[in-house]
Amino acid sequence: MQWWVWLILVVVVLAVLIGGFMAVQARRRAGGVIINDASDTAGRPDGGPR
Amino acid sequence: MSTLLRASELAKLPVVTFAGEVVGQIKDIVYAAGGGQVNAFTLAGRGLFAGPLRTAVAWSSVVGLGPDALVIEDERDVVPDADVLSAAGTSAGGGGGDVLRSRVLTDQGTALGTVSDVIIGIAGSGSQADVIGYEIEPAETLGRGRQRLLIPLPDTLAASAENLIVPASASQYLTDDLARFGAAVDSFRAQLIAPITGGSQ
Repeated sequence: MQWWVWLILVVVVLAVLIGGFMAVQARRRAGGVIINDASDTAGRPDGGPR
Repeated sequence: MSTLLRASELAKLPVVTFAGEVVGQIKDIVYAAGGGQVNAFTLAGRGLFAGPLRTAVAWSSVVGLGPDALVIEDERDVVPDADVLSAAGTSAGGGGGDVLRSRVLTDQGTALGTVSDVIIGIAGSGSQADVIGYEIEPAETLGRGRQRLLIPLPDTLAASAENLIVPASASQYLTDDLARFGAAVDSFRAQLIAPITGGSQ
């Protein structure tokens, strides 16, 4: 194969790898809303205002 | 008077010290299973290649929380996330405590929908923040179309990662207007207290 074909292949593979890594990291950075069972489980049994 | 906002508005806010240094961005909002009080925020790095930082900021360390940043005094307020998360199945990596996309059920077993966001009320003094409601994608059985609705929560929560249980009467206070949601929460909680008050006299 011509040298430029290899160059294009390498560039495409690198772009896919970098894009995939960025997508995974963006997903790992994405937030949530987590219930923490350990804290304040006593709550307010009467359901009254704070 | 409290300020109401969606949890999604807090996600990705930069966390800044008094010295102006950005120590990360908000990843998760951590709240107490019992009282709904916001305890902490876990952090992620900033930038295209950054991931979670495994660190957190406790609510007690928050000096200011505005539309553009969360402000803390200095880097010493950033602690390992294990310090603020329980060992009982809650992890910053999404170990099962995330309520987003959880199903909301009434205590009579009727599915109301799935959680798309969480409504947080911040006290006027900024001393406390509480989860006071969920934004849900309504179940078809509700017959309310596909528009997202806000549902108020009682002062005590019943919640696991998969199912969030609310009193059946909460479905009478569904609204799609965040501006009126505070009043809906107050009315809902007042009618929960009324039978208790009436029965004790």
